Amino acid sequence: MRDRLQALAEAARRDITVASEVAAVETLRVRYLGKKGELSGVLGGMGKLPPEERKALGEVANQVKAEIEELLAEALQRAEGAALEAELKGPRLDVTLPGRAVAPGSRHPVSRTMEEIVRTFARLGFEVEVGPEIELDYFNFEALNLPKDHPARDMQDTFYVDEATLGHAKKADSPVLLRTHTSPVQVRHMLGRKPPIRAVMPGRVYRRDSDITHTPMFHQVEGLLVDKDVSFAELKGSLDAFVKAFFGSDTRTRFRPSFFPFTEPSAEVDISCTSCGGKGCRVCKQTGWLEVLGSGMVHPNVFTSSGYDPNEVTGYAFGMGVERIAMLRYRIDDLRMMFENDARFLEQF
Amino acid sequence: MKISVKWLGDYVALPASVDELARKLTAAGLEIEGLERPGEGLRGVVVAQIKESVQHPNADKLSVTKVDAGGPALLQVVCGAKNFKVGDKVPLATVGTKLPNGAEIKQAALRGVDSFGMLCSAKELALTEDSSGLLILSPEAKPGAPVAEALGLDDVVLEVNVTPNRPDALSHLGVAREVGVVTGAAFRPPEPKPAEQGGSAADKVKVRIDDPARCPRYAARLIENVTIQPSPQWMQDRLKACGVRAINNVVDVTNYVNLEYGQPLHAFDLEKLAGREIVVRCAKQGEKIRTLDGKDRVLDADDLAICDRDRPQAIAGVMGGGDSEVAEGTKHIVLESANFQPSSVRRTSKRHGLHTEASHRFERGADIDAVGGAIDRAAQLIAELSGGTVLTGRVDVYPGQKPPRRVALRYARVEKFLGTSVPEAECRRILQALGFRAAEEGAGETTFEVPRARVDVEREEDLMEEIARVHGYDNIPARLPRGIAELAPEPVQAEAERRLRQALCGAGLNEVVNYSFVAPRSLEVLGGKEAPVALVNPLSVEQSVMRTSLLPGLLENLSRSVRHQVERVALYETGRAYFRDPEGGQGRHPAAREVHRVAGLVWGLRSGRTWTQKDARMDFYDAKGAVEALLHLLHVEGVRFTPAEAPAWHPRACAQVLLADGRALGYVGELHPRITKALELPQGVFAFELDTEPLYAAAHLVPEYHSLPRFPAVLRDLAVVVPVELRNEEVRRVILEVGGALVEDALIFDVYTGKPIPEGKKNLAYAIRYRSPERTLTDAEVSQAHQRIISEVNQRLGGALRA
Repeated sequence: MRDRLQALAEAARRDITVASEVAAVETLRVRYLGKKGELSGVLGGMGKLPPEERKALGEVANQVKAEIEELLAEALQRAEGAALEAELKGPRLDVTLPGRAVAPGSRHPVSRTMEEIVRTFARLGFEVEVGPEIELDYFNFEALNLPKDHPARDMQDTFYVDEATLGHAKKADSPVLLRTHTSPVQVRHMLGRKPPIRAVMPGRVYRRDSDITHTPMFHQVEGLLVDKDVSFAELKGSLDAFVKAFFGSDTRTRFRPSFFPFTEPSAEVDISCTSCGGKGCRVCKQTGWLEVLGSGMVHPNVFTSSGYDPNEVTGYAFGMGVERIAMLRYRIDDLRMMFENDARFLEQF
Repeated sequence: MKISVKWLGDYVALPASVDELARKLTAAGLEIEGLERPGEGLRGVVVAQIKESVQHPNADKLSVTKVDAGGPALLQVVCGAKNFKVGDKVPLATVGTKLPNGAEIKQAALRGVDSFGMLCSAKELALTEDSSGLLILSPEAKPGAPVAEALGLDDVVLEVNVTPNRPDALSHLGVAREVGVVTGAAFRPPEPKPAEQGGSAADKVKVRIDDPARCPRYAARLIENVTIQPSPQWMQDRLKACGVRAINNVVDVTNYVNLEYGQPLHAFDLEKLAGREIVVRCAKQGEKIRTLDGKDRVLDADDLAICDRDRPQAIAGVMGGGDSEVAEGTKHIVLESANFQPSSVRRTSKRHGLHTEASHRFERGADIDAVGGAIDRAAQLIAELSGGTVLTGRVDVYPGQKPPRRVALRYARVEKFLGTSVPEAECRRILQALGFRAAEEGAGETTFEVPRARVDVEREEDLMEEIARVHGYDNIPARLPRGIAELAPEPVQAEAERRLRQALCGAGLNEVVNYSFVAPRSLEVLGGKEAPVALVNPLSVEQSVMRTSLLPGLLENLSRSVRHQVERVALYETGRAYFRDPEGGQGRHPAAREVHRVAGLVWGLRSGRTWTQKDARMDFYDAKGAVEALLHLLHVEGVRFTPAEAPAWHPRACAQVLLADGRALGYVGELHPRITKALELPQGVFAFELDTEPLYAAAHLVPEYHSLPRFPAVLRDLAVVVPVELRNEEVRRVILEVGGALVEDALIFDVYTGKPIPEGKKNLAYAIRYRSPERTLTDAEVSQAHQRIISEVNQRLGGALRA
């Protein structure tokens, strides 16, 4: 019996040391140490032996078992190492193939720019307000100090709406049109509440004009701040802060006297050219400046239309064309791309 | 408006450079949009008088000339032209000159004869296309003088953008006054005094105003025995610089004085005025006039006309009539200088489509005080240029005289309003230089009399604007507004819309922005029942009605992409659809019902053509998936998709989207093949369109946390064979109902038809998740429940457990 154990150990040593694969090692474990393995087979006859002999033989058997286990563990480690080695040396992936497509969609540059403008003003405490696009002449013009037969109406060529198609039970208070600017929202907003007011009003506007630099529909963001003793200096400060936050802290602003019927005084706001930094280039037509905003102190007549007493409050208002700003921001050189929605254009944003 | 810098210099000392002038005017609100320097290309070209000309010894076609170019000695120049004679004055491009065509003049020997420059044709100087010979200059030109000067081109023309509120700046005098204000230089307007002779004008012409509201002032002068001829070069040069064509001395003077004073003038041929009288009245409906542009016009009863005894001779403030036009042969003229109501002129100008130099000024508001000065200036100039006699007296009918407006300025308010202190003395200096007169002093305030030219100044803010713009916007500090007292909560809609966009972008849809107006046909083809809101004056029929759906725009975008061989189109837009509103247009109620929508469209390959996914095409479930993605990000719960039929959608593949409370949001589905066919689009277009207002109202932007389950789940699969018409939701409902509290969820993971499933049946496979929130479920409990579900599904839905 002792000899059989020794022979078994000998055979195991021989077999296990040459086993090179994980599976072969496992087969050997079953063969030698399994429930029905060879060691069990040898030990099966031990029950018949006298106790002393059985004890001595048990020790030998344990030694043999321990040795085989150790050999198996070593062999397994060796085999696993070899397997890993082989795996690492296997054929490489083609890392130049494109990744699995997830294709997230893009944001339209106009809506994205508009959201960024609104978000920037939100940092200055401006809330968002919207108003109707099919508007009354009264809110679009008259309430904004643009009476009928006023030459300043020529500044904005208007689309009129056929009232017969509006199904009105009673004729509207004034002619119906597509709003030419977001300014009527100022009046509607003020009519609904008391000062102080800080609001930005983004939206679509319409002018009857279509050529290489005009589309009949475009977007504006209007802004309004009304309180006691608001000054022109605050108008300058707010817009300067906006421009720096939006276009970069080294952008400069220039305020030029201008005219809008709904503000007095009025100012055009130029920014230093975003393309050349003010040195002069094709984008700024060599002037170093880009006109991006119209602004001014709210005209007393607009306050009166809005139910406010111009002796009690002052305020400023401003407006900007979103497409123009988006074109500067993304260096788009053709306005018409904005509304063609060509997939090859959209995918760039 | 074009302003000649040379002309401006008649009335005010100018800054050292034109650029500085332009900068200062722009900073004060007269934006200089452009500078024209017509003589710029002529630098180095001088007047030369030909003193001698002989045949070139070696070339038949050339002459050798000696010219006096103002220098100490005559210059020898070889020339190829033949159209000159000795004594003529011609342009000489001196050595070193660069001509407008880029050629540089060098000293050269032409066929062995030295030439010190080049004698030029008009074409070589880029003046006209005439290259037939040398440009022969006026005999008065001085040898050696720059040719630009001899041609009246030594000027700079400013293109001034005069805003509609500043008609006072639509003239050289108006701009000159501004120059004086911003530079501090003295402003010297002309003081015309025509030499009057002979009888009284009032005896020879009658003036009557029938409508003083529309014509508050009308002045006339009579000039007899004029000789109509071209006006002198200097006047023609100035008119030309301002873009006005020279006609004859009388007409040119009226135009010249208009450019000078901003007061439109008109001259009538006295002998053509029936009854030798002028009546300012509204036209009779249907009265006719042939205007100076040669067109016959029918007048409206709302048109103000300048008439003689019998009929209209001019449309007031807009254009004169052809019948009484001053022309060759005219002997006696009546000069008109008047003021008209802006709104009346504007209506007439619009009605007749006639926008003229005169109407442009009158509709903005001309200076009623300029009426007298302008007519005197014109009379004086006409007398000088035409040899005529100015009769004594101005016939000046002025029924609408009003005292000048008065506006008080509180100095303390200036600081509050502008945010910077402008000293009182500076405020006064600015306003007085602009022509305002301090009429009354009070405590801390002055009441100013507004010059009548300043039709835009009505109130204190207007005075402060004058102070601000002259003081300089640059000199006002920039300050952030005072702190914010409270923050209004952000409207739900803003955040909801952000998430909606995030969801749709995440689902692979590109955002688009389409026009709100569409072609009526593009809505008709969708089968919409409601007639759209239409525009009165659309740019084209393609943009003539307001959209009632966002789909036409998306379909147009699809069509464009398909034309460009794009293989995957996935788009969405948020925006409004517009509908009629019976209650609209009253008070603050909007004129139309504007409904906020989101719409999307998918077509083509799911992930483009990629190596990982072979040409799989998008279908109904891609469109629905996008909708589910936005519902998920908005945390809108309990939304149902129910089979539906609607005109725009394919009857086999369309679901109505309903909120938990049953309100309909819109549809998702395949576009009806009839539509895609009509629009020449490919088949297989899947889309959705939803109202966003109810959607946002149902959103839970701040979702509530549910604690994680404490006990393990047991997963069991269920595969049932059911009739093909049976819908997933019906099977799921039975599973959840029968499973009761033990079933957490049942997810469908396979739908299969085909062998070995019998015809008319399909196999649905569900992963049922069993879990109790209170304890670990036993195997026996789960098996029992599972068994119950199987038998109920089979019994109620005619299913069979798949073998």
